[in-house]
Amino acid sequence: MKIALAGNPNSGKTTLFNALTGKTAHVGNWAGVTVSKKEGLVKTTFNKTNADITAVDLPGAYSMSPFSSEEAIARDFVKNEAPDVILNIVDATNLSRSLFFTTQLLELSIPVVVALNKSDLVKNKKTDIDTQALSKLLGCPVIETMATKGFKNGLDNVISTALELSGKQQAVPFENKCVDLSDAKLVEAADIKRFAFVKSIVEKVEQRQVKNNTQTMQDTVDRVVANKWLGLPIFALIMWSVFSISQTHLGPILADTLVGWINAFYSIAEGLLGSDVSPVLSALLLDGIIGGVGAVVGFLPLIMVLFFLLALLEDCGYMARVAVIMDRFFKHLGLSGKSIIPMVIGTGCAIPGIMATRTIQNERQRRTTAMLTPFMPCGAKLPVIALFAGVFFNDAAWVGTSMYFMGIAIITFGALVVVRITGEKNARSFFIMELPEYRFPSVKRAVVSTLSRAKAFVIKAGTIILLCNAVVQVMQTFNWQFEVVAEGATGTSILASVASPFALVLVPLGFGVWQLAAAAITGFIAKENVVGTLAVVYGITNFIDTEELALISGSSDVANIMGLSSVAALSYLMFNLFTPPCFAALGAMNAEMEDKKWLWGGIAFQFGMGYVVAFLTYQVGTLITTGALGQGVIYGLVVTLILVATLIYFMYKGEHKAEQKLNMYTA
Amino acid sequence: MANIIVSLIISLIVVLAIAKIVSEKRKGSTCIGCAESGKCSSAKSAKKQP
Repeated sequence: MKIALAGNPNSGKTTLFNALTGKTAHVGNWAGVTVSKKEGLVKTTFNKTNADITAVDLPGAYSMSPFSSEEAIARDFVKNEAPDVILNIVDATNLSRSLFFTTQLLELSIPVVVALNKSDLVKNKKTDIDTQALSKLLGCPVIETMATKGFKNGLDNVISTALELSGKQQAVPFENKCVDLSDAKLVEAADIKRFAFVKSIVEKVEQRQVKNNTQTMQDTVDRVVANKWLGLPIFALIMWSVFSISQTHLGPILADTLVGWINAFYSIAEGLLGSDVSPVLSALLLDGIIGGVGAVVGFLPLIMVLFFLLALLEDCGYMARVAVIMDRFFKHLGLSGKSIIPMVIGTGCAIPGIMATRTIQNERQRRTTAMLTPFMPCGAKLPVIALFAGVFFNDAAWVGTSMYFMGIAIITFGALVVVRITGEKNARSFFIMELPEYRFPSVKRAVVSTLSRAKAFVIKAGTIILLCNAVVQVMQTFNWQFEVVAEGATGTSILASVASPFALVLVPLGFGVWQLAAAAITGFIAKENVVGTLAVVYGITNFIDTEELALISGSSDVANIMGLSSVAALSYLMFNLFTPPCFAALGAMNAEMEDKKWLWGGIAFQFGMGYVVAFLTYQVGTLITTGALGQGVIYGLVVTLILVATLIYFMYKGEHKAEQKLNMYTA
Repeated sequence: MANIIVSLIISLIVVLAIAKIVSEKRKGSTCIGCAESGKCSSAKSAKKQP
């Protein structure tokens, strides 16, 4: 049996889906989080039959006439795949809007169960909904649910009712005869009739406390946090606090225990190996596998604290306000207001962020957003940020915060460039977003989300990062004749010979050594690899000081071993953050852009931006701190000028094309 | 003898890591180690609707 979960965006479908199936699909307190359908078996606590019940979570849709691709997914599924029952999740706080879609679902001859979700919020607003009357008028069961509060709150009832209805006929309270969808006037007239029907139902079943035009508490808060001038500084302050808590205070304290275990495990393994084992094998197991993976896993508590705090921010409704704050800037850049949503999602992982661009209808805006989303630092980049903030900047929270703002600045620049290259510099967009109500964030949901990400992080560390570190260790141990390189002569190793040509290119950026080049290269497989590879090539077991409960600070040996100045370290960090993301994210870019020219153009832009930003950071920073320019300034300047000239050429070409087009229309 | 045992342990770790990657890929995960892994659709289903 198949139950389709359909409803308006942000009505709570995914929360309900997670509650019914025990899955941990990403939920967010705003519209547009789900862009593809997800399936899961309903838990046995709800399913008392022997047969499997599959719940299908569909992207939100406002109507059966889709405006965007994710709405089309919902429409196509309920129309073509004929689920046994449709579970229509209705946002009880916005009944009139939600029932428009409900009446369309009722026309499909598939049994419908209405889950009147967020009924707790309705009660708080002193609004009464007569569910029995609503059920009678719609001709289908209506069950009050609170998806966020667990199965005792109507979810058990929902499944048993769906089971009863399966295979039965569905009454149709309102039917629009076939409307020619190509005739806008006919469609509009049909929609007006449907709205009138919905209005008549709502008037009969809903009694709400009439509010005068005085401001609610929510309005007051929004006037401050989404304020034209205050919004951005408040966002900066919040992000600084998040980094401060996760990387300076709570994170390292939690990391202490984990790093202690990793160290203990390393010591036990070292003791067991003894002196009889070949140094090559011993180094591969201890430094390559245990040390390399351990160095990355050591950052897990810091990342978990950060994800936990970000999940709380998202759940309380603040991140939706960030979208509004950023829209003020983005709409002048030719980006869609919807572009902000993928970028905020991209702070967790670039891949779902890139996939979320599907909600953008305009092709150019969608491709531009897919190209620029990876500039937002994702979860995989956090260990790299944490490492460099700890080692070179005494755990300063401003490092992480500024990387987010640097990402936003690059996105702004990138959008300005792309809009000129495509000859659409006058393009303007409008962003209409339903702001979710503020609510007290659920600690349980944040914990579940954090644990899900932590599990994924550990799996990645135990698979991809482990294999990469093992390969790096082998490449570092042997030369091309497959002889073990002599101690202190690692420069003759396979790894050094492969990475050295890249290191030459990186000299103007302040880190032209093969070890750092090798780490940056492995970062393209997974960004956490940068930390793992640095641990392997420099022979560092972990980066967290368990005695001082802090990340190893600038005075420690690690900074000296790497031989980087603080400015060069910042440049290296930026290079790793702002060059192309991991290969998997590039694959997602390819899928969403559906155009090789855009894909390769995007990758070239990302490489160019990463290089130029790192070059400017190093050279300007070195000039300020030492009074002289850094190494390779001429060479770097030539590369930068070539990149800038290329951009200017394409921008000129784009604008010329646009002018020609305009002349053609006006002629 | 010690070298053989250590080699076997290393091989086992590497094989297990590869096996996990293969099994995740077979389950339909687009990328290992992503919290959304296996839940997000593949590139094919990501095609835009007309």
